[in-house]
Amino acid sequence: MGLTGLEIYRHLPKTNCKECGLPTCLAFAMALASAKASLDTCPYVTDEAKAALDSASAPPIKMVKVGVGDHIVELGEETEIFRHDKRFFHPTGIAVLISDTDDAAAKAEKFDALEFHRVGMDYITDMVAVKCDSGDAAKFKAAIEAVAGKTKKAMILLAEDPAIMEGALAVVADRKPLVYAATAENYAKMTALAKSKGCPLAVRGKSLDETAELVEKIVALDYKELVLDSGACETSKVLANLTQFRRLAVRKKYRLFGYPTIAITSKEDPREEVAQACVYLSKYADIVVLKACEKQQLLPLLSWRQNLYTDPQKPIAVEAKLYDVGTPSENSPVYVTTNFSLTYFIVEGEVESSRIPSRILSVDTNGISVLTAYADNKFSAEIIAAAIKKSGLEEKIKHRKIVIPGYVAVLKGALEEESGWEVMVGPREASGITKFSKDNFA
Amino acid sequence: MAVEILKEKYRNKVGEVVLGATSDQGGTRSHTITVGGEEALPFLHFEGEIPNRPVLVLEVWDIVPTEWNPCFEKHYGDVWSDPAAWARKCVEEFGAEMIQIRLKSADPDLGDSSPEDCAAIVKKVLGAVGVPLIIVGCGKPEKDNLIYNPIAEAAAGENLLLGVAELENYKAVTSACMANQHNIIAQSPIDINICKQLNILIAEMSTAMANRIIVDPTIAALGYGIEYSYSIMERARNGALQGDKMLAMPMIGNVGLEAWRAKEANSPTEDEPGWGEQEERGLLWETTTAMAYLQSGIDILVMRHPEALKVIKSSIDDLMKDNS
Amino acid sequence: MIIIGERINGMFKDIAQAIKDQNPAAVQEWARKQEHNGAHYLDINVGPSSATPIEAMKWLVEVTQEVSDLPLCLDSTKYDAIEAGLKLCKRPAMINSVPAEMAKMERVFAMAAEYGAEVVALAMNEEGIPKDADSRIALAAELVATADAFGIAPDMLYIDPLVLPCNVAQDHGPEVMRTLREIKLISDPAPKTVIGLSNVSQGTKNRELINRTFAVMAMANGLDAGIVDANDDELMAAIASARIILNMDIYCDSYVNVFIQRNR
Repeated sequence: MGLTGLEIYRHLPKTNCKECGLPTCLAFAMALASAKASLDTCPYVTDEAKAALDSASAPPIKMVKVGVGDHIVELGEETEIFRHDKRFFHPTGIAVLISDTDDAAAKAEKFDALEFHRVGMDYITDMVAVKCDSGDAAKFKAAIEAVAGKTKKAMILLAEDPAIMEGALAVVADRKPLVYAATAENYAKMTALAKSKGCPLAVRGKSLDETAELVEKIVALDYKELVLDSGACETSKVLANLTQFRRLAVRKKYRLFGYPTIAITSKEDPREEVAQACVYLSKYADIVVLKACEKQQLLPLLSWRQNLYTDPQKPIAVEAKLYDVGTPSENSPVYVTTNFSLTYFIVEGEVESSRIPSRILSVDTNGISVLTAYADNKFSAEIIAAAIKKSGLEEKIKHRKIVIPGYVAVLKGALEEESGWEVMVGPREASGITKFSKDNFA
Repeated sequence: MAVEILKEKYRNKVGEVVLGATSDQGGTRSHTITVGGEEALPFLHFEGEIPNRPVLVLEVWDIVPTEWNPCFEKHYGDVWSDPAAWARKCVEEFGAEMIQIRLKSADPDLGDSSPEDCAAIVKKVLGAVGVPLIIVGCGKPEKDNLIYNPIAEAAAGENLLLGVAELENYKAVTSACMANQHNIIAQSPIDINICKQLNILIAEMSTAMANRIIVDPTIAALGYGIEYSYSIMERARNGALQGDKMLAMPMIGNVGLEAWRAKEANSPTEDEPGWGEQEERGLLWETTTAMAYLQSGIDILVMRHPEALKVIKSSIDDLMKDNS
Repeated sequence: MIIIGERINGMFKDIAQAIKDQNPAAVQEWARKQEHNGAHYLDINVGPSSATPIEAMKWLVEVTQEVSDLPLCLDSTKYDAIEAGLKLCKRPAMINSVPAEMAKMERVFAMAAEYGAEVVALAMNEEGIPKDADSRIALAAELVATADAFGIAPDMLYIDPLVLPCNVAQDHGPEVMRTLREIKLISDPAPKTVIGLSNVSQGTKNRELINRTFAVMAMANGLDAGIVDANDDELMAAIASARIILNMDIYCDSYVNVFIQRNR
């Protein structure tokens, strides 16, 4: 939402001179608010007022980029509080933390290998954070060098001392790492450093108030590639602050909070750390930094990120193909369903719990469910028959029997004719599959 | 610089439901548990009161759960042939705040135990633990409709949470709850419209029951449609706070059951070396599912892995800290 | 849409008679009926012919509150009568109404601030009702700005863009629709909007059809509240449906009943 009439009115001269062609400044403000007039027609508006009114047209949250090349992580430019209102756009960067007191090279190598494949998608841990715990510039620099040698992914450098940060940036500034963090004590130097190297800068106050104050000072130094940290570390306080960052930026267009955010976990126990990261990931952190680095710890988090950032308006589809459940043989039953992911996964779950190895043929219906697809002619006898042909089923199995969803029982005749297969009508709801399979295939 | 924080003004709050009854209330529970009552979105204490913690439940089956992942044997194998002993272990050793009994044995394919047997199992568990109980049937409506009444009568006074009512099948369980003053689980298939309609239908049968409904919006597991149920719960909770009384009920979810259906929880380490160690992965799959739903407003989490329950418990401790 | 039930008005014969006889039966019956059918506020108007408007207002407020807990909307051009009523209201009330005329705004906004009342504010001034949307919006902005000076938040105001009968002033229709949209650009929080619905159909055939068509169109353009016949079931069903289409309520099969019963 742009500025309201009253907000614009505050910046106008309030002289009612009528030179803009409207009877009052208030009427002119309303005309501006509804984009029916241009500010140029007011001869008396000040430059400050112009600047203030201009900035209101920017998106509520700025986009900030970390990293270079194929490993750029884009953060921010979010417009919603709830994903169901539209969608979330730029998935949270998940960063694994390496201390300069660790074996940085080994940990970085392990981190770089963290890539997961599930349900036809690849998930990647996209950032690595290197923290100066040693207080030793040389040691930090060495750790940065080691990490940079092992991974090309986007980096976050954590050090409070600008001198130490300067040394590290000398090594990796061209990788455009996130510089963490400008504080009340060091912001002038940190800002100068980040600005001179063109690196994004995290800003950490001790509270929302202090964070806003710091952002204002840094913006006054003409630097806006910022990422916010409210300085809280208790889960519940971080949740409250992340919520305020997002709400004030989106609902109130509060410029000082119009930047992406970062949250660093405080828990030592990896399970608790994953749980804490899950809170921050769910509620508005654009970067979450955690120490946990094992596959089993990161896979759930990355999966939640993938799920949370899907477009709720767009039905999600699984790949339309033949899936194996268990280890099916040439005699195993075959079920057919759509490629709407929710439908597919529910069917798959039920087939799996039937304990009878089977195959599921997922037909491309543009990711819509059985009844909708049928009504839309995307789940017709012709389309299913073509999918059977294309799937290679005929080479894999001996029998010629296929189970269709009970809701489209009406397709039986046409499909038998079209495909030459025997068509069995399955249950209407997936929950009936266990019983159905026991009755027919056990 | 003073930042003026943004607090939503809500017109309504989530209803409170008390579960269980102590001896002076006509039951035999050692204490009651109150759920719901939120005046704000999850854990945003700064804009309204969150009077009750989300409740952690462990599920107990009345048959040996042979279909569960083998990793559960070391936790429950010594007790899972006896629901009472199993429930006691969940409460005493694993810190479950409530127990959910799933009467699988009633399933015609799994033993077809009689309504009287089911009621006897419930009585036995009531005798074994002091926490309030949740009782659900085997999931086959035609059979479950026969067991609700005997159970509701056998446990009269205990203020159970009994389920499940569904749009096509809510009358038997609603009457059983009405007649014996129990609470009801109203389950809808990941569909907010049906969720609301079912609440209305139950309320039409009995206005008193309207205040005894716990909504089960049907939750999906992480990776298997969690975002659908997450958004439905967020919408329902927003609707409730903005004044929609027919959505202003506490919510329950079968977190453990759903999470442990996922391949990611179950696949042995050697089958999926790229996914890491199986049991830890499974319990974190359950943990992450639970943590996500805590952010969308869940009030009762039915868990399975005792270690996941432990993690969630300490996370709830953290989330319940005032942040105003 | 917030429903302000219009029926307790001395313009209607039964209410005028009730006031005259000091017999609360008709007033209380309408209070109950409107509440039962989904009203959120009850409009209270002593009517044009009352000789003692202050006493009549006090009496109407008292007898209405005996049977209904709904907040009241005190409707009079005589501000002394409104003030007398405000003193008796058990819940924060609404003042109906004030035009964009300085002397009246000063009186009404001071009173609203004192009693914590909401205010129906009319997009008109000494010169009458403007024809075009821009002039209506400018008047609305003036009302908001003046209320602000009295410490009254914009969302305590219900701006009435004023609709004229569609058979005599058809060209006002689109202007009113645009006004409803653009009033939301005045401030954040935005002022609310209200319409006296029956005006639009005054003197036409098909009054109820025109009323409910106008209501849903106005809602689509952002209307927040209406002073309406809460006992017009078709109107209430149309409003409930519009709320569903506009995603203001979550659909369920019984949505009409839910909308009407939400106060019970």
